[in-house]
Amino acid sequence: MYPLRLVLASAAVLSVGMPCEAHHSSAMFDAQKSVTLQGTVKSFQWTNPHCWIQLLVPAGTKVTEWSVEMGSPEQIYRSGWRRSTLQPGTSVTVVIHPVRDGTPGGQFVSATATNGVQLGVAGAKGRNP
Amino acid sequence: MTRAAVLGLLLALLTIPGCGDRNIPPRVRAFASLPNWTGLWESELSKASATLSGHSDSASVDAQILKSVKLIGHPPYNAEWEQKYQSTVRARAANAEATVNIKNCTIGFPIVLDAPHAFQIVVTPEETLFVFATGGVRHIYTDGRSHPGNDDIWPTHMGDSVGHWEGDTLVIDTVARTSGPIWPSAVTADLSEQAHFTERVRMVDHDALEDQLTIEDPLRFDRPWQLLLRFSRVTDLNRMIPWDCEDDRNPIVDGKLSIAPP
Repeated sequence: MYPLRLVLASAAVLSVGMPCEAHHSSAMFDAQKSVTLQGTVKSFQWTNPHCWIQLLVPAGTKVTEWSVEMGSPEQIYRSGWRRSTLQPGTSVTVVIHPVRDGTPGGQFVSATATNGVQLGVAGAKGRNP
Repeated sequence: MTRAAVLGLLLALLTIPGCGDRNIPPRVRAFASLPNWTGLWESELSKASATLSGHSDSASVDAQILKSVKLIGHPPYNAEWEQKYQSTVRARAANAEATVNIKNCTIGFPIVLDAPHAFQIVVTPEETLFVFATGGVRHIYTDGRSHPGNDDIWPTHMGDSVGHWEGDTLVIDTVARTSGPIWPSAVTADLSEQAHFTERVRMVDHDALEDQLTIEDPLRFDRPWQLLLRFSRVTDLNRMIPWDCEDDRNPIVDGKLSIAPP
């Protein structure tokens, strides 16, 4: 029997070891923090191993470009996303878990259109192609 | 009716499908005797992750991983490797950064069976193919051949597989997998090149397959490691959507994963 402390340490290590996306762990993002970004879509990158939302977020007189990492096309497609879901120039509110090192980027949590509709929710557009 | 006419009529009947087996080519008969596993399948982890948008909820996903991923477990190591395993667990617990700043673009056997992506199974009389969204393919030869001889085989990330059918169960024998951890980002089983994998894959019902996997490793384990993997039919896709690292924006800078501009 191993000490409980070691078992818990193992669980902690294992739990960040393999993300639900095969490319890398999600531990580079701070899952304890959520940041809400209100901005305009610069581009929606539909690529492997991750899709990305490039979001222009105004703050005072400055505009900062944020990189929002999503799952792979296979994963977000199955969650209701399509390449056409976001168009450049679209206003959108995106919630992320921010990158720990302060880079303007983060892990996608949710996106809401200006009319209040949550984007890419499985079932909203139908999951079958 | 003359005898010739009757004979002609009989011959004509035999050429009509369903009127006799003698005209069915042996390969078609062999195909017909095999189970139909047509379609897309996914592991329990893939199923869990598909309900989340990407990896949007780390805590939920991590909890699912602990429940779902059988291959991230504690194998029955021998004393030497148990000691190494415990040292690795302690080292990584003390320095989590070292664990998380790793990325993967090659998903080999056996973790590919537990990866969060769909795969297709193609059953033919000569071989069964596991075609993965991650780009890899397992060729499981069922034409009676053995593994190649020593000069004709070398370790690969999928290993070399041969198989045979026992009723509706495909029995797979795999050797020559590249040595190393099953998954580099976690404290997973570390296997030698002598690891030997036996699988018994069968359809449990129309929407479920199970894979009884036994891993023996004379250089690492004290006894066989037995795992039960389950695959579900994918019902929300009608084609394979490939995964690769073609546009990777996560370079490792100064030892840390980062985000590169588009």
